[in-house]
Amino acid sequence: MCALTTIHRGSMRLLVCLVVAVTGVVAAQDGINKDLINKKIERKLDISSQLVKVTQKITLENGGPAPVRAFLVTLTQVEKDKLSYMNVQSGSSVLKVSEAQVAEHRDLAFFRVDLRDPLQPGKTANVEVEMIMTQLLEPYPAYIQQGEKQLVRYTGNHYVLTPYTTTTQTTTVTLPSPNIESYSRLKPTTHTDTSITYGSYEGVAGFTVDPMTIHYENNSPFLMVSKLERIIEVSHWGNIAVEETLDVLHTGAKLKGPFSRYDYQREHNSYSSIKSFKTIIPASAKDVYYRDEIGNISTSHMRIQDDAVELDLRPRFPLFGGWKTHYKIGYNVPSYEYLYSSGDEYILKMRILDHVFDDVTIDELKLTVILPEGVRNVAFETPYPMERLPDTVHYTYLDTVGRPVVSVTKRNLVESHIQDFTLHYKFPAILMLQEPLLVVIAFFILFLTVILYVRLDLTLSKDDATEAKMRVSSHCEQVHTHHEKRARLYEKLEEEIQKLKSSKDVTHSQTATKKIQGSIRDETQAISDLSAKIRLDNAEYAEKVAELQKLDKTLRESVVQQLTNVEKLVAGKMSKQQYMDAEAPLHKKKEEALEKIKVLLGNI
Amino acid sequence: MAKMSTSILSYRTRGWLRMSVEKQDTLLKMAVLSLAAILSFSCRLFSVLRFESVIHEFDPYFNYRTTKFLAEEGFYSFHNWFDDRAWYPLGRIIGGTIYPGLMVTSASIYHILNWLHITIDVRNVCVFLAPFFSSLTTIVTYHLAKELKSPGAGLVAAVMIAIVPGYISRSVAGSYDNEGIAIFCMLLTYYMWIKAVKTGTLFWSTMAALAYFYMVSSWGGYVFLINIIPLHVLILMITGRFSHRVYVAYSTLYVIGTILSMQISFVGFQPVSTSEHMGAFGVFGLCQIHAFVDYVRSRLNKAQFEVLFRAVISTVAATGVLVLVMLTAMGKIAPWTGRFYSLLDPSYAKNNIPIIASVSEHQPTAWSSFYFDLQMLTFMFPVGLYFCFSNLTDENIFIILYGVLSIYFAGVMVRLMLVLAPVMCILSGIAVSSMLSTYMKQIDEVKTEKKKTKFEGNYFMRSEIATFFVCVMSVFLVMYTLHCTWVTSEAYSSPSIVLSARGHDGSRIIFDDFREAYYWLRHNTPQDAKVMSWWDYGYQITAMANRTILVDNNTWNNTHISRVGQAMASTEDKAYEIMQELDVDYVLVIFGGLTGYSSDDINKFLWMVRIGGSTEKGTHIKEHDYYTPAGEFRVDKEGSPTLLNCLMYKMCYYRFGQVYTEGGKPPGYDRVRNVEIGNKDFELDVLEEAYTTEHWIVRIYKVKDLPNRGA
Repeated sequence: MCALTTIHRGSMRLLVCLVVAVTGVVAAQDGINKDLINKKIERKLDISSQLVKVTQKITLENGGPAPVRAFLVTLTQVEKDKLSYMNVQSGSSVLKVSEAQVAEHRDLAFFRVDLRDPLQPGKTANVEVEMIMTQLLEPYPAYIQQGEKQLVRYTGNHYVLTPYTTTTQTTTVTLPSPNIESYSRLKPTTHTDTSITYGSYEGVAGFTVDPMTIHYENNSPFLMVSKLERIIEVSHWGNIAVEETLDVLHTGAKLKGPFSRYDYQREHNSYSSIKSFKTIIPASAKDVYYRDEIGNISTSHMRIQDDAVELDLRPRFPLFGGWKTHYKIGYNVPSYEYLYSSGDEYILKMRILDHVFDDVTIDELKLTVILPEGVRNVAFETPYPMERLPDTVHYTYLDTVGRPVVSVTKRNLVESHIQDFTLHYKFPAILMLQEPLLVVIAFFILFLTVILYVRLDLTLSKDDATEAKMRVSSHCEQVHTHHEKRARLYEKLEEEIQKLKSSKDVTHSQTATKKIQGSIRDETQAISDLSAKIRLDNAEYAEKVAELQKLDKTLRESVVQQLTNVEKLVAGKMSKQQYMDAEAPLHKKKEEALEKIKVLLGNI
Repeated sequence: MAKMSTSILSYRTRGWLRMSVEKQDTLLKMAVLSLAAILSFSCRLFSVLRFESVIHEFDPYFNYRTTKFLAEEGFYSFHNWFDDRAWYPLGRIIGGTIYPGLMVTSASIYHILNWLHITIDVRNVCVFLAPFFSSLTTIVTYHLAKELKSPGAGLVAAVMIAIVPGYISRSVAGSYDNEGIAIFCMLLTYYMWIKAVKTGTLFWSTMAALAYFYMVSSWGGYVFLINIIPLHVLILMITGRFSHRVYVAYSTLYVIGTILSMQISFVGFQPVSTSEHMGAFGVFGLCQIHAFVDYVRSRLNKAQFEVLFRAVISTVAATGVLVLVMLTAMGKIAPWTGRFYSLLDPSYAKNNIPIIASVSEHQPTAWSSFYFDLQMLTFMFPVGLYFCFSNLTDENIFIILYGVLSIYFAGVMVRLMLVLAPVMCILSGIAVSSMLSTYMKQIDEVKTEKKKTKFEGNYFMRSEIATFFVCVMSVFLVMYTLHCTWVTSEAYSSPSIVLSARGHDGSRIIFDDFREAYYWLRHNTPQDAKVMSWWDYGYQITAMANRTILVDNNTWNNTHISRVGQAMASTEDKAYEIMQELDVDYVLVIFGGLTGYSSDDINKFLWMVRIGGSTEKGTHIKEHDYYTPAGEFRVDKEGSPTLLNCLMYKMCYYRFGQVYTEGGKPPGYDRVRNVEIGNKDFELDVLEEAYTTEHWIVRIYKVKDLPNRGA
């Protein structure tokens, strides 16, 4: 029968995994292997926080003739509904767990654990089963007053629920404090300070149940995140923005009667209320914010440590049983820590969720990753099954076609679920240019519109006065340009004179200066033409231009005089002393003319 | 060689900035104006930098909530919005009882930005709307003053309005109120109006009407506008300056403006039925008559005209007065509302309507606050008036009128300081610019043409005096800037939803109690819980706690507010009856006794008594019962027993008698009133403490259910 199941199972394996991953409801049929014996079980039950953490160290023995490949772990339906995390290890290797069903025990839940190596007949194997269940502890009484302590009740089984016969088993229960209202006894039972030990019990048959109840004081925070939305926005410009929106609910005993601030401040007796909690975010996080729908929450502290940033978050009000709050926390991390690339291929490796507070329980998690625009071929990998939601598109700054958004969701998570996801995608590097180009184009269009608008004249009637004014100003502008050119030519002429002084090459200099003088004449002519045009619209400015021309004439004459003087000097027709005497007044004349020209041009 | 180097001269005259004089002029103007606009935006950001990007105070929360609704639900559902969260059990038709300009403006900005994929949320649009509009105001002020005097005056006025505290007080980032955009609309309308009067074109008059429509859609203060423009026309008529230009401008503005303004459902038929708008209508009629008379006069000779004129005038005046009186008597023309009576007679409201008098914004202005809000503008204002009078034109008459009227109104009501501030800036701009341009020239002339001075007149030490004057003026301007920055930073940049104080060691302590309480209400009370509080906190509770409230800052229903006042002022069992009648689940009070926060409910309590006693159902509540025999309002042992046993007292001081607030003082020492409270040990029968914030500023009580029978 066993062999048959194995073959059957082998063909179904892939399908089972898929089905479990997607729905987690339908499971394969399994039978109970009567040959297996639990030689020894050590169970540890930690109910000191709001979670129930169960660790079972099982020594399995194969009492039958055939090798055994798998064994079953059993839970009650209630426990299964509250089960958040399950891990089975043999030594250091993690074993594969899948849901199973046993026809004879429809009321129980089974998980099939595949052993790494088949267990040979007569051999034993050690496995360790770790389970975390949430919401299993029931506040009892359900309503308490402000000053009262919170009592909770745990209901379970004195024996380990297992389909196989157990040779010997013990259970150790860890409690938060020595204050116990009552606990069920099944001999031998010992109670020391903060723990209760049940057993050891010998030769317990499979599926034996003996109800256990422990009613004890538990003031540890019963804080549940009813909804956690984590949004990761990846930018290829070097930043990853993370924002988490949380709905937090105190699931402990509900507050009955008034809340007195006086008692709260004076007596410090509000045992089960929660004033603040610690959230840990990555060490590289910066620009951290903590806010809600109505603004910044001013009551928080941030401590930067070597390996993490610790946030001491204080909600706006202390949380009593049944009270809830809602907030947002966000930060930026540099992308080089999480984003790996090779060519156009990228891998994003980040945590599915981060530490919210110790012994957290999260009812619903939604993880959304917003990728840069133009990303293709997205593949999402998670270490445990999560439900993938339909992809959407997100628009924000400088987007055209929108950014692809990938999101997954999962219910009932605990701290052990803090693991990395991997996201593979392709992003052509050329698309990095898109955003700067968009900005450039936008500004270009803006300036172009302004330029066009300023130059457009939409008036129907002609306004002569303004037009004349505009004409004059454009002519004046031209006068300036021509004068500038002329000034440059004068400078060249001066250079030629200097050159002549040193080279004493009169013929060469004469051709050069002739040319320059010709150009100067052209410019002067152009200015005179403009002056005539200006006169048509504005006599005052024309007067000024005429004066400019006059001054220019004296300037030119002095320069030309200078030139002839130098030529004479070079040719030896003039003594050095004579030359120097002639030079000084000429220079002064030039200076004066230039000064006047400057003043004049400033006014045009 | 030295000689050689001297011979090389710089022939070029222009530096790198190759610009003509006009271009330099434009550049300078643009630079100054854009700097002023940036300055006016940035100096309003103190509160954002010091606290956070948050909506301030009371009314802005309502505006924010409605804007959010508009942005999310669209205009039609906004227009038809019946709000069941406020005025329980009456509700409020939001669409028909607000000026939607503000919300529509920010919702459009929000949609445009989001359409461009600039994903900014509604809150940030709201927070930064007022600073943005004050930048626009700066630009409009420049244009307005330019039309009145010169571009120079425009620039000075623009720079002044950018930082004037009187305007900043209402337009800092987060102060998301109608006034934030209304001042812009008002100045825009004035600018368009001046343009219309100057040019007499239909274009500008229509633009003025459109600007007026925007103004009407955004603030109730539009009534000031629709009275001052007709008054301007009237004065122009009286002074014989009436012309075709004015006729075209006013007729167009009045007709189009009135029709447009009636599209706002809150305004409705008021422009044709209430007395506040009758002035405008009358002047419109006069305009027609005046134009007609001018026409007739041009056709008839003088004697004929005289006879005709007298006959017509007397008949028209007589029938006009008769019709007006009859219509008022028949109720066709609504009587003047309380707020306008209190404008004309400051003591009217105090004597007659406690609800109007109780609003701090409606108090008369103290002299010191004129200086505080306007500084040098207070004494530059008359100088500006002088310059306007010395060169009287149509538009200068307008600004004189605006200045004189608004200074009167600002004296009557603190909040109207806002209307005064722009005209102060414009007139001071004119004054400063005129004086500076006079004196500046004299410094210049003397320097360049020294020899001519002796022919110029017998001024003594002309250049020195001019220099001295310019220096003094600069000092004044610098002082003005310093004062404005200081006032903005110290007085007007507190969000008042978050309070801050200095600790013993100089560190800043933040009291975030309001939001603590509102957030507690939001998340830890049933969705449909009804919260009773004094009306001041109504808007905040609906916006932040999202719970139904009985009364809010809209104060439209005096009896309802009075009922709440009665509950607060009654004893516990009487109050319980009222609370049962009003279906109250939670009661919220503001209490400053522990922290020394002085604007708490005990200090406002006398208003609750007065308003509570002002209606029929509250006749048993008499103000003098709450005073000591000596006529004092005290909460210590001497206080009146009525006060020490009323609901408000009990809610504020519940268990406060055990608290030590200050060293060396007995327990129950109230740090606002500085007394030990009189009634310490009492229990509440019909209420239970539901929540008290960290610093006890907000205390919330739950109304207990009726006890079971036989229990």
